[in-house]
This record gives sequence, structure tokens and C-alpha cells, in this order.
Amino acid sequence: MQELDEYINKVKHLPPAPRILPQLLHLLNQPDTDSGQVVDLISLDPSLTAGVLQLCNSAFFASATAASDIQEAITRLGFRQVFQLVASISGARALSPPQKGYGIDAGELWQHSVTAAVAAQIMAQELGEDDSVIFTATLLHDIGKLVLAEALEHIYAKVIEEIETHQYSLLETEKKLLGVQHAEIGGRLLSRWNFPENMVTAVWHHHHPAQAQDHRRLASFVYLGNMIAYFMGHGYGHQAFALRGRTEAIDFLALKADDLPKYMIRTFDKMEIIKALFRISK
Amino acid sequence: MPSPSLVGFEQRVVVGIAEMAVTNNQTVTLATYSLGSCLGIAIYDPVIKVGGLLHIMLPESSIDPSKGTAKPAMFVDTGVPALFRAVYQLRGEKYRLIVTVAGGAQVMDTSGFFNIGKRNFESLKSLLQNNAIRIHASEVGGLVSRSMFLNVATGEVRLKISGQPNDFILCKSSTST
Repeated sequence: MQELDEYINKVKHLPPAPRILPQLLHLLNQPDTDSGQVVDLISLDPSLTAGVLQLCNSAFFASATAASDIQEAITRLGFRQVFQLVASISGARALSPPQKGYGIDAGELWQHSVTAAVAAQIMAQELGEDDSVIFTATLLHDIGKLVLAEALEHIYAKVIEEIETHQYSLLETEKKLLGVQHAEIGGRLLSRWNFPENMVTAVWHHHHPAQAQDHRRLASFVYLGNMIAYFMGHGYGHQAFALRGRTEAIDFLALKADDLPKYMIRTFDKMEIIKALFRISK
Repeated sequence: MPSPSLVGFEQRVVVGIAEMAVTNNQTVTLATYSLGSCLGIAIYDPVIKVGGLLHIMLPESSIDPSKGTAKPAMFVDTGVPALFRAVYQLRGEKYRLIVTVAGGAQVMDTSGFFNIGKRNFESLKSLLQNNAIRIHASEVGGLVSRSMFLNVATGEVRLKISGQPNDFILCKSSTST
């Protein structure tokens, strides 16, 4: 734990944005949330507020008159939809910069993360689970990469050498060269930001859902969302990082052989809308 | 630096996931990004300089037949015939076509659940084989994301691999066959 914190403390410019999400998630799960509390929370962040209103007034959602404040956006779209916009905007801010230590270009990690989150959300809705928690955990699954990218950049040549000579997975390479890996750093980061324990555990074990114990279903959603995002082409970085197929994730969610391709098609459809909303070009 | 023989602008036409484009406009480079387990399939007739590029996502449209009709370029079995037909309409000749393939990234998996990239390539190979069409060059598999570029003037196909600084030539076209 101490080693994880040391890495996290070394990073100077961590995004503050996702910190609002655990509080919003908490409110979302209260049976009688006063929307005033939600408005107050979001309004603390002016650029987030502007982003939510801009999306709310975009052609996709727009009605005859523009919403001029968060209260109106909630009335119009509902709390769950507004939460998803807040999560997406926060994610975009945190995950858009290039991560040179991973060979990831600007925008790539964000696009990977949002594709994964959309895929996991579609599966969650199909299986009747809380899609807000699953969407958010999957969106932030690679947040640990922001912490390790800098450390990896300093030993870039060594990373390349390591992955070219051995067929190590990304986690193995990180562990070998740095002593820590991005999934546990991500989990630790979420716990320091006061995210609920199930999300911390799911992110911590998103490459190995069987180890998530009580939260292995949530970890399986994150794992499979991540996998679908890789299939669809985003967030690879360096070549030759081996990724392991974990059939236990399929078992935990009782999926059938044909389900993954079907979820890919639905993810594709939903991503067309997300891309238009967030003006993703490629 | 642009080469001195290049006149005017090169236009880059982007082919998205589950899309295709075909052209005989020689100022165009057809481009498709971030292939993942998807396949990029480029075909080119060097005599009349017609090229096409397709970005498929899955092998069989039987999984969602209405999607196969609405978006044929999503699947091998509907997209590849559509690509060839479109090139024939611009007077491309089957026996002259140069076929290059890239993508089909693969995870370490023995169960078969996650081998979408491999299934894509298998289904493409058997479709082409049944139609007596040869693949001239391919770069398939591994866990990398590839981007693919077809220069319609020269037929050259270049690949860029994620995390690597430079692109490289997959197929020089007119000199091969």
C-alpha cells in the first residue's frame, strides 16, 4: 500500500475532476434525493456545469428552449442521464492527454475508456444491474495509467526491450520494472478519492476478475468492457503487450458464445451517438 | 518532406469502423484507423488505378441479419462482396486486383470466446479462397492496433502501428503480382 501511495504522491498534476463522482453516486442511490444537493455539487465546478449544459442543449437532446442551469437539465434529462454526462466529462478531462510512457496518443485513452464504459453499461442494462456504478467503474478502470505513465516514460527504452524479448503482459511488465501495476494504482486512487469499496476492488482486479472475490461480477463487467474496447481498436499503445482471455468473466455473468459479438454491435451503435456528442473525429 | 513529383494536395478520405470507400480519384489516400480485432481490407487495380478500402468488425452477418442489410461493411460476408462489386463498377478487373489485409489483433486465449480477430481473418481467407482470390500481403494478429493507408495514385499500402513512431510499407502494389 505504501509503495502505491508513494507513486501516487509523486505525480504533480493529477486530475481533480473524478472526485465529485463518489458523492454523486451516493446521492443517486438515495431513495429521496433532493435535486438541490446535486445542483450544488455540480455547480461547484463551473467548467463542468458549462459542459453539462452544452451537451444537454446539443442537437441530440435539445428541445425548443435551451436549458440554462443544472436544475433545468436534471428536470429535462433525469438525474441518471445527467450523472452519466458528468462522469463522461470528468473522464474526458482526466483521460484525454497523451500517455507517452504507454505509447498512447492524445485522446486514445479517453476513447478506449468511454468505449469500454458504454459496452459494460449495455451488458449491465441487459442483465438488470446498476448501470451507473458499472459505467463509472469501467470508465475509470485505467486511471492508474496516469500515475505510471511518467515513471514508464523515464525507462521507455527498457519497456520496449522488455516487451520485445518476453511475451509478458502489461501488468507483468509494470510489476517487473516498477514494482507496482496500473490496476492496483487505479484501485488505490479510487479509494483515496472515496469511491465505494466495490468500485475500488473491481478496478483493482480488472485484469483478473476472479480475484475480486465478493465483487467479481462488477470486476467481470469492467474486464469485458475493457476487452470489447480493445477489440474495437482503441487504447493499445506499445505493441506486443499480451492480454489474457479470462473465461471466468464469461462464467460469472453467465454469457453465451454469441453474446460478445452482439454486445460489440450494440456498443458500435451507441458509440456513434457518443462520438457525435463529444465530437470525436476518428 | 513531400516528394517533388507530388502535385497539388493529397486528400485523405477516412473510412470509419464498419464503413467502406472506393475511388479512382488519384489525389486520394484512403485511410482507416485503429483496427484492433477488426480487419482492414484494401483492394487495388494498378492498371486503371481504382482502389477500395473496407473496415469490417465481425465475421458473419448471421448474428444480426438486419444489421448486415443496413450496414454491410460491418461483416466479412456482406462487406467483402460489396467492396469488390463497387470496384468492378469502376471497371476494376478481378484478375488484376491486389489484395492487402491488416488488423485482426488477438488476445492470449485458448477458450475461443475472445478470438474475434482470428475468426475475422479465418472467415476472410475462406471467402477469398472460395472465389479464387489471393491475398498479396497481410499483417494480422498480435495485440496491436493498426492504421492502414492506400494511396490511390500508386497503389502503395502503408501501415502504422500504435505506439510506434513511424509507418511502413505493407505492399508496393504495381510491382508485385
